Amino acid sequence: MNRRHLYIALAGFCFVTLLALAWSAPDLPSTIDRSQRSLKPWEYWPLGTDMNGRPLIEYASQGARVIAIPSFLAGILVAFFGMMGGLLRCVEWPTIQTMVQFIGEIVGALPRMVVILVVALLLPTEWRSLMPLAVVWAILCAPGAIDEAGAVAARLGGTRFVEALKAHGFGAWRIYMHHIVVLNLRPVLVRQGAEAMMTVAFLEVALSYLAVVEDQSSFTHSDNLRSWADLLKEGYLWLALGIDSGHVLFVGLGLLGLVVLTATALGKAAEAR
Amino acid sequence: MKYWWIQPSARALVAVALPLLVPALITALIWSLPGNPAEIICPPSICTGGEELAARWHLDQGPWAFYGHWMSSALQLDFGDSWRVLTGRPVIELMAQTIPNTLILIGFALIPITVGSVLGAFQQPSKRWDSVLVFLSVLPVVVLALLAAAIVELNFAGSGDDGLGYWVRMMAAALTLGIADGALSGSILGNRSMFEQENQQRYVGISILRGESNFSNTLPNLAGALVGQYRSRIVQLLSGAVIVEVIVRVDGFGALLWRGTLMQDFGVVLAAATVFACLSSGLLFFQALVEVLQNLHQRRAPKLTLESTEVVR
Repeated sequence: MNRRHLYIALAGFCFVTLLALAWSAPDLPSTIDRSQRSLKPWEYWPLGTDMNGRPLIEYASQGARVIAIPSFLAGILVAFFGMMGGLLRCVEWPTIQTMVQFIGEIVGALPRMVVILVVALLLPTEWRSLMPLAVVWAILCAPGAIDEAGAVAARLGGTRFVEALKAHGFGAWRIYMHHIVVLNLRPVLVRQGAEAMMTVAFLEVALSYLAVVEDQSSFTHSDNLRSWADLLKEGYLWLALGIDSGHVLFVGLGLLGLVVLTATALGKAAEAR
Repeated sequence: MKYWWIQPSARALVAVALPLLVPALITALIWSLPGNPAEIICPPSICTGGEELAARWHLDQGPWAFYGHWMSSALQLDFGDSWRVLTGRPVIELMAQTIPNTLILIGFALIPITVGSVLGAFQQPSKRWDSVLVFLSVLPVVVLALLAAAIVELNFAGSGDDGLGYWVRMMAAALTLGIADGALSGSILGNRSMFEQENQQRYVGISILRGESNFSNTLPNLAGALVGQYRSRIVQLLSGAVIVEVIVRVDGFGALLWRGTLMQDFGVVLAAATVFACLSSGLLFFQALVEVLQNLHQRRAPKLTLESTEVVR
């Protein structure tokens, strides 16, 4: 087993863990049981309990449910945009290229959080979930992915590379999808997609945290679900006030670490040989 | 390249269009969503007097009337009054109160980024430190902001809006912004690889043989790219400022935008988004200007002395 296989296995394991957590999430949080409050993981398996005696595994699984699919979709979208940007450099479509560059310049110039907040404000209440915000985030990440994939395709030779392969008798599908996308753009696309996946998870935690500290509903999920931001909020009390909730903070950070590990392992697994 | 002016021109065009485009996109979004625009802006569950509101905001006369009226008012720096953040108070006053804090914050946050950029330009630190930089790059802003907030609250809880507490709060927030989400490591690694690639160019080798420093030769050629990188970092800081200001409790423009969003204060959010667009547009325009100057500098014919002209002949 070489290093690449190790990274693939690690990425797969982390992602499956995330999906398993999401799949096992209860629809509603369990009732308060103060007799079980602030139990450590070794006292209440597997993650311990919060200040109200609720198992932390519920927070972990419900938070995973909130982020798993939208962040994965955002990753796929960014990789797709990157692929289109790379392929665009390999065809003679100067007008489309200029238009894409122009639109990319506009989208890239907008502070992302400002756009997200405007969209969050305007979305009807019944549409409120992480999914539309994740899609918007993916669109905002697209110019970077398109630029980087385009630069890789340009270094490859762009249209000259395609002409050379055509001269060797390869078909269009094989040239564009196999030689350009799979063999050459893969590292960039996977890394960009994985980073987008990670940043959407961070975005969810940030937006939920900001709402939680103001005692408001989150823009990313319904009130019956708990986010990983709730863990950070309770853990923060340990940092700032010394309340016995340090283990909650570590669970929250550990879950964010799981997302980082998934993204990093995916990026490493797809690196060019 | 013969058509070097196309890219800076496109950037300048985008810079001019951006402040007009952002309110236009928001207007288009309001009218493209299903339902009454007045109810989208202010849902009936939390708003009363929907018809009055629609008339006051020109929402009842279609998107063009709304956009035209809002833009003409905004050009005269009249962004209307706040609906909920501070009901009845002019939005311009709220912005004037918060923007200086955000500018100070961004200014301080640029210090680690600038130091990182300079270090990167001189190929520092060595690649042995890359794993540390990669670790720093994945630290999310929300986690670092929590840490900063805890440190500030532990030591300066209850301190007012001036004095040491204020400055420590600003410093902690700025350091968070300058490090989190790959701001610092991105500036180091980005600049290091950019200068590394440029140093491998043939003209740099020749300049070294002529006894010149490679930095003075590469810098003019990389000026446009450096400014571009700096611009995207500042835009990233503006974006992160929303999170940091709320968590570390800095009374800034980002926190105002967040309060406006949370309290469904459309007047504040629309004005704040437009001002953010103006800031970004200014940066874009500056980048275009640097690119033009760089290209003119590169195309400037060297003045030949009489002797060298004779040698050429």
